Amino acid sequence: MAMKRKRIGMHAAHHVGPNMTPMVDVVMVILIFFMLGSSFTSPVWYLTNNTPAIRGGMSDVKTSKFPPVKLIIKLDRRGTKTMVTIGAFQTENLNGDLMHWLNKRRKILGKKTQVIIKPHESVPYQDVITVYSDCVRARYHRVAFGMPTR
Amino acid sequence: MKLRTLKPMQGEAVNVTPLIDVVMCLIIFFLLVGHIAKKASVKGIQIPSALAGKSLGNRSNELIINLVPRHSDIAGVQRRPRISIWGDNYTYDNLGSVLREYKGRHPNLKLVIRADMRTEYRFIAPVLVACAKAKIVSVHFMTRRKG
Repeated sequence: MAMKRKRIGMHAAHHVGPNMTPMVDVVMVILIFFMLGSSFTSPVWYLTNNTPAIRGGMSDVKTSKFPPVKLIIKLDRRGTKTMVTIGAFQTENLNGDLMHWLNKRRKILGKKTQVIIKPHESVPYQDVITVYSDCVRARYHRVAFGMPTR
Repeated sequence: MKLRTLKPMQGEAVNVTPLIDVVMCLIIFFLLVGHIAKKASVKGIQIPSALAGKSLGNRSNELIINLVPRHSDIAGVQRRPRISIWGDNYTYDNLGSVLREYKGRHPNLKLVIRADMRTEYRFIAPVLVACAKAKIVSVHFMTRRKG
């Protein structure tokens, strides 16, 4: 009889304490929300530039000597479009024609050519980035930015 | 012959304490990271898209310069963007000294320019000049992955 009483008493002690189930549910929902929220952010990547200074142009910082071959890409605004001029070559097709031309020219001049992008002051940042992206895709390693032209 | 049988279940609950500890740590981590990300990048900037680019490996010594576009009353004329670094606003005039100060504290500073795709180049060039004058040679343009 005494043994039986003791067992009943021990059994009752198991369910003491707050019920954690609702808390775990809520916490899990918050966690899943944060994890999904962080994965929904749009993927970004970066165009890296290690030659921001142009001798005699943008700053007084002394840079290493430029290689003899220079390619100056001028960007002008024509209405709502941006026109690219490199010597006699002109195009408005920033991703197609320019990219093709840069690729062809790199094979002749080599990838150590110093490229200088000289945009007009009113050229939108998107077009400057597109041209710079084209240079990177055409595997030019030395790309710098010039002062805005007027 | 006496058969061995399993003991009847006592109705013992699973110990959820370690689970709650881990989950709480994860929530605090996400809250902190979210807060830092919000402070570093400002809303209202539509970053440009690019076909080329790479992800930044080591994010230490990174400084994000936000060029936040401002509303202009005159159509077709852009106002100078607001410069925001870690939630603090700066002007084009004091940007140079701010960058020099950061460069002094972090010699391997990586600078990230986060500007709106419609911003005119005349507002981007002074930032590049300030970087060059502060002798920051690692400049990155934040872009959206195209395609």
